[in-house]
Amino acid sequence: MSHTFPELVIGGVLLAPFVTYLAMALVVIIVLRPLLHVVGFAKMFSHAPIAELSLYVTVLGLLMLLF
Amino acid sequence: MVATTAEQPFTVAKIPVSSWSFAIRVWLATILALFVSFWLQLEAPTTSALTVAILAEPTRGQTLDKAAFRLLATVIGVTASIAITGVFSQARDLILAAFAVWLGICVFAAKLLDGYRAYAAVLSGYTVGLIAVQQIDHPQHVFESGMARGAAITVGILSIAVVNTLIFPSDRQPGMLAQLATIHRRVREYASAASHREPANSAAFLTLLREIVALRPAIASVALESSSGSVRSAAARSAAVALVAELQAARFKDDLEKEASGWAARELQRRDAEVRQDLAALRSARWPLRVWRAPLHRSYRTAAESGIRAAAWVAIASMFYIWAGWPAASFSLSFVALVTGLGATTPNPRGFTAIGLVGTPVAAVLAGILEFIVLNGADAFPLLAVGLAPFAIGAALLLSSRNFLWSGFGRFNLTLIMVLLAPSNPQTYNPQNFLVTTLLLVVAAALLLAAQTLIPPVSDEKRRMQLLADARGELLKHGHAKGEALEEAMFRDASRIEQFLAAGGAQDGRALAEMLSWFDQSTTLRLCDAKLMEFTDGPLASLADEARAAIVARDASTLRAVASRFRELAPQTDSMEADVAACLVLTSDIVDAGRGDDPSRKTA
Repeated sequence: MSHTFPELVIGGVLLAPFVTYLAMALVVIIVLRPLLHVVGFAKMFSHAPIAELSLYVTVLGLLMLLF
Repeated sequence: MVATTAEQPFTVAKIPVSSWSFAIRVWLATILALFVSFWLQLEAPTTSALTVAILAEPTRGQTLDKAAFRLLATVIGVTASIAITGVFSQARDLILAAFAVWLGICVFAAKLLDGYRAYAAVLSGYTVGLIAVQQIDHPQHVFESGMARGAAITVGILSIAVVNTLIFPSDRQPGMLAQLATIHRRVREYASAASHREPANSAAFLTLLREIVALRPAIASVALESSSGSVRSAAARSAAVALVAELQAARFKDDLEKEASGWAARELQRRDAEVRQDLAALRSARWPLRVWRAPLHRSYRTAAESGIRAAAWVAIASMFYIWAGWPAASFSLSFVALVTGLGATTPNPRGFTAIGLVGTPVAAVLAGILEFIVLNGADAFPLLAVGLAPFAIGAALLLSSRNFLWSGFGRFNLTLIMVLLAPSNPQTYNPQNFLVTTLLLVVAAALLLAAQTLIPPVSDEKRRMQLLADARGELLKHGHAKGEALEEAMFRDASRIEQFLAAGGAQDGRALAEMLSWFDQSTTLRLCDAKLMEFTDGPLASLADEARAAIVARDASTLRAVASRFRELAPQTDSMEADVAACLVLTSDIVDAGRGDDPSRKTA
């Protein structure tokens, strides 16, 4: 059975499910930030911004896979 | 003035490598934004390229900060557009009137904010111009137009964020640490030299104060740079607030007589230790011991006057366009609103419009060369990308210049070339359209300049007088905002002096001396008040109450009498009582000096 995606409708305008996932992943990352600071995520990598972008993409992928 | 580090940057063609990498990043992000917009078949691909041009900031944190505010302001602006169009759907004149009032409100808000917050406020204003006013003949399209704009802006933001992350990411935080450390070193030098009361020292004090306050918007940008960003931002903010307190302690050091100088030296040491702790916290990304806010002085009256003038300019321009009855006047009017709004975030709105008037024809010539000579009918995306390169990179290099005029000119070119080229898929090479657009932009800038000549912006002198009146009023009321710490209040006062200097205060020696005197008075009064609070429940409560009453009345002789009684009661020279006595003596001196009893302070 194929995966169905929930659709977001704002004022009669259909938004692509991908936009919802992008926003959700952003929320997850914002919630995770204090935790990342506590574990010293930024100090683990030479290029922390790239590591954080990768984390974002991972979260985005997981969200799409699981929900 | 920006503090520079000792090492010389590596240069290519006499331009630092960091500027080259910034310019190339801007070009790549523009191409990516256009490519994604074309691929998604968005209605407004130009807006996504424009977003990249507007978000072209030298560091990642600044870009993300501005991006967040741009998105927020677009949401507010689109909502306002829908509301204005909905309420006045049958009356076009009323839409224009409501638009002028809305822009006035947004300029008012922008004048109370700084950095990208001020930008967001004016963007909320002129977004209505770009959506509701441009669709004034088709109100049913306002919602779609708003959605298209929102989608294009999101694509632009994502493009520049990804490019900035993957290619030569440059962070604001290391530079911020270096700048704060340099300022700290200079504050210490100032403290050791402050024993000579010279005009040069007063100038050094003002320069340092200005530099510290000027870091405020950049400190907020550090928060978005990494997962530890918000902690570093809090540490940097606390360090800046503590630096102002240390600077003021250094200023007081030589105002004291011998008996109180011990207290002043201890106060200076304490402040110095606080700054060092905060800098260490910033370096190692730890929370500082105390998290201070850095409040900004808000001059409501000046802001309201600026808002009313902005509304009047747009109203005058609207009346002209209604009278002229041109077919595409709404586009021109939205450019008037855009320049009015962005001008409100600069110290000199009329100068900004003048740059716009000169910059528009230059950008038009460049965009014309790009569209009709370089591309000239090409319809392949790679050709557009290559053709854009010299124009985008050149403008971005200008933008990264340290010279304010060149950098403003670069920003203007980068954005206007995109507006005039209006990349779309398929591209329409229509010279008539191009000429009409250019003409409308030039007319808009000229019309706004005329309106600003008719109703001039709030003058520097008026702003200075208002700031002085604010300082005086606040001191006489003897109050500060609830829950605001002494150091935070001091930073707010410092931001007022910075605004005063930005309004040309350095040339007005008398007013500057008065401003500094109010600053000294309010600081010492707050300091004494805080120290006296420690005696509230003790045996010296009545004496403390007496001192507090004298502070409210600013009665120097009573203050001195209370100080001598505190000194008699002090068990040793470094006790709390002796500290209060020293503080009261300092206050009485400064109150006296503020009343003009001591002519030597008038020259400070």
